[in-house]
Amino acid sequence: MRLRESSTARWRQLPDGLRDLPPREAARRGAVASALRETFQRWGYREVVTPTLEFLETIVQGAGPGLADRLFKIVDRGGELLALRPEITVPIARLAATRLLREEGRPLRLAYVGSVFRGQDAGSGRLREFTQAGVELLGAGEPEADAEVIALAAEALARCGVRGAVIHVGDLAFLSDALAGLPEGEQEEVRQRLYRREFAGLEAASADPSAARLLRALPRLHGPGTLDRAAVFARSPRGTAALQRLGAVLACLEDYGVTDVEVDLAIIRDFSYYTGLVFEAYGPGTGYPLLGGGRYDALLGRFGADCPATGFAIGVERLSEVAVPREASGAAEVVVTATARDRRQALLLAEDLRRRGRSVVVAAAPSAVPPAARFLIRVGDGEILLTDRRAEGAGERPVTRAQLAAELGLPPAVGVWSH
Amino acid sequence: MVALTLVVPTGRLLEDALALLRRSGFLVGAAGIERPAEERSLILPGDDGLRVVVAKPADVPTYVERGAADVGIVGKDILLEREHDIYEMVDLGFGACRGVVALPAGLADRWDVGTLLRIATRYPRITARFFETQPRPVEIVALHGAVELAPRIGLADGIMDLVVTGATLRANLLTEVAEVFRSTARLVVNRASLRTKASRLRPLLDEVAAQAAAGG
Repeated sequence: MRLRESSTARWRQLPDGLRDLPPREAARRGAVASALRETFQRWGYREVVTPTLEFLETIVQGAGPGLADRLFKIVDRGGELLALRPEITVPIARLAATRLLREEGRPLRLAYVGSVFRGQDAGSGRLREFTQAGVELLGAGEPEADAEVIALAAEALARCGVRGAVIHVGDLAFLSDALAGLPEGEQEEVRQRLYRREFAGLEAASADPSAARLLRALPRLHGPGTLDRAAVFARSPRGTAALQRLGAVLACLEDYGVTDVEVDLAIIRDFSYYTGLVFEAYGPGTGYPLLGGGRYDALLGRFGADCPATGFAIGVERLSEVAVPREASGAAEVVVTATARDRRQALLLAEDLRRRGRSVVVAAAPSAVPPAARFLIRVGDGEILLTDRRAEGAGERPVTRAQLAAELGLPPAVGVWSH
Repeated sequence: MVALTLVVPTGRLLEDALALLRRSGFLVGAAGIERPAEERSLILPGDDGLRVVVAKPADVPTYVERGAADVGIVGKDILLEREHDIYEMVDLGFGACRGVVALPAGLADRWDVGTLLRIATRYPRITARFFETQPRPVEIVALHGAVELAPRIGLADGIMDLVVTGATLRANLLTEVAEVFRSTARLVVNRASLRTKASRLRPLLDEVAAQAAAGG
């Protein structure tokens, strides 16, 4: 189609990086979100909801000033700056530190599903609004806590039908210790480069020979035996302890039966946020990580409550692209039609089918039947006439109530509409 | 065998990139293709299970970030201009050039005056970041090519562009007044591919890195 002037009208467009989800896509995302909610809830993580807007200061307090120029900002009535949340861990840390930890004690297991907003580059094709689902385990600093959230992450992927995903685990406490001997400016430079994933020429950023050796080896510190190979780079007992702790987490994951885990010390995520173990899941079919998380023991302290914490977040739209949801067409499968005379009976039938888990539309006339529906039911003169559009011939035929239930895959129980 | 897609850029890096792949043994049947049609993406026959795609330089990081290609070869200048979430694994050494600010030879002394300069460039972000560190104000004119013509027709006072030998600057009577960055070709890798295709990809990275180091 040629681009005409009228097609550039504002109301035909959406701002860059924002999009609509038509029913099919919305149903897919909804199915993935429900599977995640249910999984989190079964593991004892209770859902919390925080506002979409926070004070800009709160977000900067939690995530560091580096993020500030990537936020959607709004000037509030009193002239105060608000921002749309770019993720949900910081709002939860605020909520926990100011209220929940005091009211409920620790550990706290919290979950969330909600929209987040990022001010990405114009034209980069990256979404500026997307959905994150995740959990936070607050007040538990032991390796078992890290293993629990990693195992839950693996379970969440499995529940969404993702096959072949592997969780890659690194540790920033180990890296920080190995870089601790560098002068402050050099340390910052190396961290910046690691954050930008610039491994080319990385070793040249450090004049210190042992740090340079580590930086050269870093892209190879993954796979079996990594913990032993990395041991020589520990600078102090802190680095050795970090590796031992990572070993303890892996042993615990074995007991969980989580086997698709690999140590990968080049997993960095973000130094301004994470303090210890970090992890990302990768799987076939997408060039992006399926989820990411780790330990952030310093974050709650920024809101006045010293408290170890770990968790992860999943990009729900990205996961939807590779997830295999059970049933997510978004379209009503059953349509019931009747003339005005038989309307009451038709509505009772629809009500019964809905109660038994079927998605039902009541159409006033056969001409108003949605094209995507599979089953057409016409009620007239006490008779039920069924059309299965997917069946051979696809003709209309009279059925008994028991036959109707069988055709729709329902248990043969008698419905309430019968009298 | 796991299939791999590698994307190489059209333009000045293409021949060296193909030569490197050939030396590394990954490009076998493409001996005749020295200069594929410049403006068109195309797919070259590679080694078993390796597909080589040719794309515009600025598109290479996008191919790799989104996973359409697992590995790419691209100039550091492109990586500096726009942030991409990809691994920059190896400095390949070839394609060396510099980004410089240049003014018409007769106006070069304006660099020291501190008046507003209009600078034409294909790298608006790098240029903006550079001038943030400078005492003089700047107005950036973003262009897609033939930047060196801009001062001659009054579109800008000067330029920020790539220089290899300096011949283009001299031919257009421009004088370098400041160096902004140095660039060489880089090997970049998708975040997921580095992990999900490690067994196939790591040997390729090692071989290409070794050949690049040896080839000079």
